[in-house]
Amino acid sequence: METRLEPKFERLSVSRRLRGMLGVDFYRLFHTPMFYIFLAIAAIIPAMVLSTGGQDGGAALYTNTWNIIAADTPLYVVRDIGDYANMNMVFIFGGIMVSIFIGHDYRSGYVKQLFTTHAKKRDYMMSKSIVCAFAMACMCGTYLLGGAFAGILTGASMRVNFGSLLVAILGKMVMSLGWASLYTFLNVLFRRHFGISIASSFFLGTGIPIIGAAAILGNNSALNVFLYGSSVNACLSSNLVTLGTCVVVSIAWAIIYNLLGSAVLARSDVY
Amino acid sequence: MNAIEIRNLSKSFGKKQAVSGLNMTVPAGAIYGFIGENGSGKSTTEKMICGLLHPNGGTIRLYGKDYTDAEVRAKIGVLIEAPGCFPNLSVWNNMMIQADNLGIKQPQQEIAKVLKTVRMEGAASNKYKNCSLGMKQRIGIAMALLGHPALLVLDEPINGLDADGMRIMREVLTDITNDGQCTVLISSHILGELEKIATHYGVIRKGRMLKEMTAAELDTSCRTYIALQTKEADKAKWLLGKHYKRVGADESGWLRVYDAATPEEIVSLLYENGVTLSEIKTAKIGLEEYYIDLINETEGR
Repeated sequence: METRLEPKFERLSVSRRLRGMLGVDFYRLFHTPMFYIFLAIAAIIPAMVLSTGGQDGGAALYTNTWNIIAADTPLYVVRDIGDYANMNMVFIFGGIMVSIFIGHDYRSGYVKQLFTTHAKKRDYMMSKSIVCAFAMACMCGTYLLGGAFAGILTGASMRVNFGSLLVAILGKMVMSLGWASLYTFLNVLFRRHFGISIASSFFLGTGIPIIGAAAILGNNSALNVFLYGSSVNACLSSNLVTLGTCVVVSIAWAIIYNLLGSAVLARSDVY
Repeated sequence: MNAIEIRNLSKSFGKKQAVSGLNMTVPAGAIYGFIGENGSGKSTTEKMICGLLHPNGGTIRLYGKDYTDAEVRAKIGVLIEAPGCFPNLSVWNNMMIQADNLGIKQPQQEIAKVLKTVRMEGAASNKYKNCSLGMKQRIGIAMALLGHPALLVLDEPINGLDADGMRIMREVLTDITNDGQCTVLISSHILGELEKIATHYGVIRKGRMLKEMTAAELDTSCRTYIALQTKEADKAKWLLGKHYKRVGADESGWLRVYDAATPEEIVSLLYENGVTLSEIKTAKIGLEEYYIDLINETEGR
């Protein structure tokens, strides 16, 4: 007589589900040329800014090498390009990178395969946020190397409070999580419009809304509750409180954007 | 137990109603042939079962649980349209990605096994983008088989497969459903192939289920007819047309009489009128003709 067996359904733990998804996303990150191109861009940009400033008889953009990493004080109101062009630029390029990375999930049809077997959309949000945050933190690393190397070559001053510099760098790296979550959310929201995903990521990454708000409110520390505000706050006069603020703000926004993204994915159709 | 139970399912895209009040029952262990013309709502239904589209109304239960249940969903294998693979990665690495997502403990062994099942072991190192359409379909099936799925949802999986590919597909689907641990929902326009493997059928039209039946019920429902061959086909057709209401011819030149009582009747009729038969047989209409009949009947043609 033929034996008919009932299929067995196994509950996968959150950690096992997430481990699998993170493994896939990290594998994809390390196996895509895009990641290395963006690391190189992050290294070249500060070198270009440092080495081109002050040419044609004009004043040098920075007299201190480490101003390419962060401003001396938190300046939400931008007076000149020197106040603006620092490690925060990584978050602009990071937005483009995240858009390409997530856009590929949709274009290849991978999400269809994934969401059939993965009912939990928050796993997807978490995995993308963590992996893209890691990628942006790596970009911060190559940006630091590019900036330091160019500083040595141009002979700009290297004097700095090392503790504050370290806090500023760590603060910006920590902010990567919040930024990556924002970009992941934007890409999930505009998943069928790649152009809008990139444009919105670029627009918010530049911090224009916060710079605009600062133009009205002045150099107000309340702006630290926003991603751009906290990213600016991680400057060369930072201390451990600054780093703590970055941690809290970054994690808080990461949670908010992850919840929003999960809600959008749970309610939307996948084509 | 039923693997899929759908009640009053509906889905619209803007003003277009893709699925409307659909009821469907797929018993566990069945190979369910899901038939319908283009735009009838097959793919939309399948995508709702897979959780890719959200229904506007109705219920979908998979193995007695809601279709959103994570445990059940983790045991669905799917091939809808094309496999979700990254073009620049190798077939093996794409399979590894799916295995990781499914949390498979010994992925290498299982991937090797499913690739062997679909005779694709030699193409494991090929980049996915360099694979032919038929190879991609086989990879998609291999991917769907990873993790011992309880439910396989295959949308037009035979498209692009050669004769050998179709045979492999038949073998694979028959094998995995043998012990009742896997149920297959398969849609295809190649009804002749579907007929060879399906144990159950569902016919969908304009988003509604026209008819559900088992293969045995289909066999009973299919009309018998008498097929004959003669060198004087035109004369025979004219003569038969005078005596019987439904006379036709198929692509291979056989004349068909659908409402004759016995072959003897036809033989004597033609013999008396000087028509010599070269061959005569009794046969049954296939799924394709049954489907056309059913559609015509529904449309009142």
